[in-house]
Amino acid sequence: MAKGSNTVVRVSGLRRAFGSTVILDRFNLQVREGEAIALTGRNGAGKSTLLRLLVGADKADEGTIEVCGTPMTETSAAIRRDMATVIDDLDFFPDLSVVEHLDLLARAHGVENPDPLVDEVLEEVQLVPQSGQLPGTLSSGQRRRLALATAFVRPRRLLILDEPEQRLDVEGVTWLANRLKNEREQGLAIIFASHEPRLVQTVATRVVTLGAPRAGAENLLAGTDPDEVLSADGETPVADDVAPKPPKPQAAKQQGGKGGGRPGQPKGRPRPRQGGRR
Amino acid sequence: MTASTVGSSGPYDPLEAIRRADLTPARPRELKLMVRDWRSGRATKKLSEAIFDGYVVLFGVVLVGAMIVNVVLQAQRVVASCATGPCLSGRTVLPWAAYALAAAGALAAARLFGPVLASAAEGFWMLDAPIRRSSMLRARMAGIIAGAGVICFVLGGLVSALTGSTWTSILIWAAATGVAGAGAVAFAAAQQGAERRLLTKLATWLFTALGVAALLAVIAVAAGWVTLALPTGFNPELGVALLGLALVVLVIGAVIASARLGRIRRSTLTSGGALVSGISGAFFALDLGLVRDIVVERRALEIGQVRSKPGRSVGLQTLVWRELQRLGRAPQVLIAVAVVLVVPYAADALGLGQVAPVFSALALFGSLIPLMGGLRVFTRTPGLARCLPFTTGQIKRAVVTVPAIVAAVWALLATPAFAGFGQGSTRRDVVAAFLYAVAVGAAGFLGAVRWTTAKGPDFSKPAISTNAGAVPPGLMTNIFRGFDMCLLITAPLLLNLSPVISLVLAGIVALFLLAFDFEAMRIQSEQQRKQMEAERAKRNAARK
Repeated sequence: MAKGSNTVVRVSGLRRAFGSTVILDRFNLQVREGEAIALTGRNGAGKSTLLRLLVGADKADEGTIEVCGTPMTETSAAIRRDMATVIDDLDFFPDLSVVEHLDLLARAHGVENPDPLVDEVLEEVQLVPQSGQLPGTLSSGQRRRLALATAFVRPRRLLILDEPEQRLDVEGVTWLANRLKNEREQGLAIIFASHEPRLVQTVATRVVTLGAPRAGAENLLAGTDPDEVLSADGETPVADDVAPKPPKPQAAKQQGGKGGGRPGQPKGRPRPRQGGRR
Repeated sequence: MTASTVGSSGPYDPLEAIRRADLTPARPRELKLMVRDWRSGRATKKLSEAIFDGYVVLFGVVLVGAMIVNVVLQAQRVVASCATGPCLSGRTVLPWAAYALAAAGALAAARLFGPVLASAAEGFWMLDAPIRRSSMLRARMAGIIAGAGVICFVLGGLVSALTGSTWTSILIWAAATGVAGAGAVAFAAAQQGAERRLLTKLATWLFTALGVAALLAVIAVAAGWVTLALPTGFNPELGVALLGLALVVLVIGAVIASARLGRIRRSTLTSGGALVSGISGAFFALDLGLVRDIVVERRALEIGQVRSKPGRSVGLQTLVWRELQRLGRAPQVLIAVAVVLVVPYAADALGLGQVAPVFSALALFGSLIPLMGGLRVFTRTPGLARCLPFTTGQIKRAVVTVPAIVAAVWALLATPAFAGFGQGSTRRDVVAAFLYAVAVGAAGFLGAVRWTTAKGPDFSKPAISTNAGAVPPGLMTNIFRGFDMCLLITAPLLLNLSPVISLVLAGIVALFLLAFDFEAMRIQSEQQRKQMEAERAKRNAARK
């Protein structure tokens, strides 16, 4: 695996609360080139909130996010150049075809002859027959594939994906897992939220579990215990990573999560602001 | 019908139920009565509350209606006394334009919505049942045709009254326009029953062209380019003839449509219902941008597939080229801009040169909105903009380049109108007229930019308490977005001030709408504030 020493994403002391519900508190994360971070946890644990903060679609109450050394601003051209995202707010031109969208993105990123790349990605996401269709006529799965294709058709250093396996068939999930694994091995940094154990197992070098598990749901990621995943590539978590691993079974209770907070923190109450952060 | 009524004893056998000869499907009327029966006793209001609400609504309608009627009557009296060329040409030709444009509008709306439609619930629960679909839909179709007739009747009557026609003429043209609208919808319904749309589309274009030609004729006559020598009494006679023609179309269309009602597919009926439901939801939120998005998405669904074209250039230029290609894919939006070019000429020809800038800017604003599709996609959700390696400001400027060029060409072509040519119009030299035209073009363009980039009301934020109840922030102000820019920029022209003031105002507005990235500025200032606080804390610690 081509794991570099360059830090691509650095998150420090992130806090996000909705009213009295604290979703993330004092969240730290550092992602280097060639690393893939899987965010797991129950629905509402804060995975999507964290990803929305990372891409700048939402604003943190406290804390900082840097992408390739640039402070996060959603409208920053430098960040947009480096970061490819697939979260749920991707929109399409109603009157541009599938292939035209990909051509537009590639050219906008400076790819002078994008046809071979676009064709390759279209074939990979199995949208060749739909290449002339307008986005409104695509099925939900096809739209998902198009959204994924937009991330692969352009230059990138960081990939952020929110449940990329959504609406994909079994074959599609397998393709996606291999594709993301290849991306990671080529040195890309990846942060993704997922409920799909196969995807997490194949792609992730680290697993960050957010929120508290439901009763009986501790083994959702059977065989993907954070420690096991971390050891799959012989990696160890970085020192200031988000998820210091307390003894099981509280492993999933430690960080964020709606009404969660840190161990010992009463549910549903915001943690008082603290000056000293890592 | 329940399981207990079918089959003698034992478990319900659906095959046995089908085989039994004495089973007859329910009639739509029976189903409706049954639904009414279920609903009875579930009212959410007391009778007294319903009567009070009804009284308030009735009182409001009567009050506002009386005011409108009063204004129309007064205007009719004033305009009827006018005997100048522009007044006479307007009085003669504008009812023709209203007739044609009302029919075109009715056809376009009918083609968009169905015109016969059904809600998703009806589609699932009733249209799936073995009932006679035609008998269920007939009353609805009649209602839609009648509704179109009433709206077009009012429109035709208003145009005739406001041009100073006699009461006989007003009645004749109101009836002719009303029946034309109803006939257009009946014609579209007949085409819908045969799953055809081409004739309806052609008819829409034909009537639009006739309406525009009539508007052009008003200008030409008013400007003295053409003489309209019609015999006395021609206009009412023409109105009666057109009324008769529309009546024939209405009757034949309604009969054919009625015969074909049973053939309309469920998906066709429910897609129209879904569209109405979506649009009405957007109207309740007063989100006109969303209304347009729904209609645009619907049209794209109808088209389905396009012949893909390769892009050109790289970087920001590729966005500009794509906008140009998108315009080439739907060049009909330029027709609206061309038609709007009539407004400054018509206003000047009719002696309304003083208010021509305001009317022209408002009309241009409306006609430029369809060209702002790219800007709309990039601003309604940030996802696509995030995929591109440019700042939001750069993206906005790139995607409005083509509409800006169109607006500039419009301004150039409108310059002669602002130089003044009609009777009693204000004469200006070419430079002043050009500055007027540019200011009006900028007002229309920036109005369209502001309208397109408007965010919908934010229902997640705390509502504002008003006399009308809790209102989400931005709900009311959203309605005026775009209009405000047109009025702000053209106000100096209306007050006979220098057009340079308008241009300066337009420049400031353009900076705010297209140049500044307020989000980036906010974040930058926040970072600076944090840095300063950290430095201050360090200094304080060192002192201690």
